[in-house]
Amino acid sequence: MAFLEIHNVAIRGISACVPKGIEDNRKMSFYTPEEVEQVIEKIGIEHRHVTAPNETAVDLCLKAAEKLLAELGWEKESIDMVAFVTQNSDYLNEPNAFLIHDKLGLPEQTMCIDYYHGCPGWVVGLSSVASMVMTGNVRRVIMLDGDTVTKLQYANDREEKPLFGDAGTATALEFDENAAPMYFNIGTLSSEGLSLTRLHGGFRNPWTVDTLQRELDLRSGASSDVSEVGKMDGMDVFSFAISKAPKSMKKLLANYGLDMAKVDNMYLHQANKMIVEAIAKRMSMPMEQTPTSLREYGNTTSASIPLTMVSERSRELAEQHQVNLVCGFGTGLAWGAAYFETEKIVCPPVQILE
Amino acid sequence: MELNEFVAHFAEQFEETEPSVFTPQTVFHELPEYSSLIALSIIAMVDEEYDVTIKGNDMRASVTIEDLYNIVKSKM
Repeated sequence: MAFLEIHNVAIRGISACVPKGIEDNRKMSFYTPEEVEQVIEKIGIEHRHVTAPNETAVDLCLKAAEKLLAELGWEKESIDMVAFVTQNSDYLNEPNAFLIHDKLGLPEQTMCIDYYHGCPGWVVGLSSVASMVMTGNVRRVIMLDGDTVTKLQYANDREEKPLFGDAGTATALEFDENAAPMYFNIGTLSSEGLSLTRLHGGFRNPWTVDTLQRELDLRSGASSDVSEVGKMDGMDVFSFAISKAPKSMKKLLANYGLDMAKVDNMYLHQANKMIVEAIAKRMSMPMEQTPTSLREYGNTTSASIPLTMVSERSRELAEQHQVNLVCGFGTGLAWGAAYFETEKIVCPPVQILE
Repeated sequence: MELNEFVAHFAEQFEETEPSVFTPQTVFHELPEYSSLIALSIIAMVDEEYDVTIKGNDMRASVTIEDLYNIVKSKM
């Protein structure tokens, strides 16, 4: 059972950055005006920030990290490690952590790791990074988390296109013997992982001229035939999410004797409004304490939890002690729940990549 | 679990279709209001009311409401 209790680690700050470009779900050509209102009502997403072709997760995370480091006042020489949670690397064979290490001008003594994870990635990455900081061997870490999943979307996909947006985030962690413990529960349902998997373009099924042409046609909208390319089975992912996420959080609370009544805010992966509300209902958490950033940003995969913390609760996080319960779920299929306290962290408003 | 109660819960997921339309023999995929979003509401209802996780294939394989009822019953 992956239950993790972490001591001596404080989150010092969280920042987020989204691209300037916006897609409006009311302007999607494949919906009638009546349909689009029904869809927006159910998924809760009106706009999504979408990267331009020359903008990547590294660019978004770089801007988030620069703002965070400036406000923290951390010297670059003091950063022992950079972690980058993403599924959207700039290059096939150079992890994003190295690229951002270079762009931030960090010293040679800083170690770099990428975490290849989807929607549960911020929680899973945090559990891993925090485990290393707990030892005191690395004392200051910047964890980037960002994806540009809109680049993989198909132009005529009525199910997925209205859901996804792009975002990059940065989270600063520091060794601190006085920090309150952090608690994690991580789980995996790999047997159903293919319900979110694109089948071509990796090393199992490398692109052929035919499969690549088909992929490009789907992305551009020249084709709508998604048979045998592998795409999200929305119903399977939905039933997985509303079932596993609340169970994982309840197991976490029960395992460590934590009190749900002390939680100030519950931050869920922003999959869509139906999923967020269904999970909140099962947790008996009022929506006032279940912030959502869906309306403006959509589903930004693993960045959605830190983005929501920044966009919806930056003032509370910056000015108050907060007890946070979070749960990410999706790609894997996998999930991660965490309970942690924050003490007046650096939490600047959402940055826009110009 | 009782069939008529299941049909009533099923009907509650629709906003425009009259409740009187719904019977165990209703071929729900043919209802004009039925959509992938309604399917998600039904999955959520089954999880909430019966603590059973049904999947996309269960929804697609069911022709009538009673078919879905039987799938849910078999998973309880």
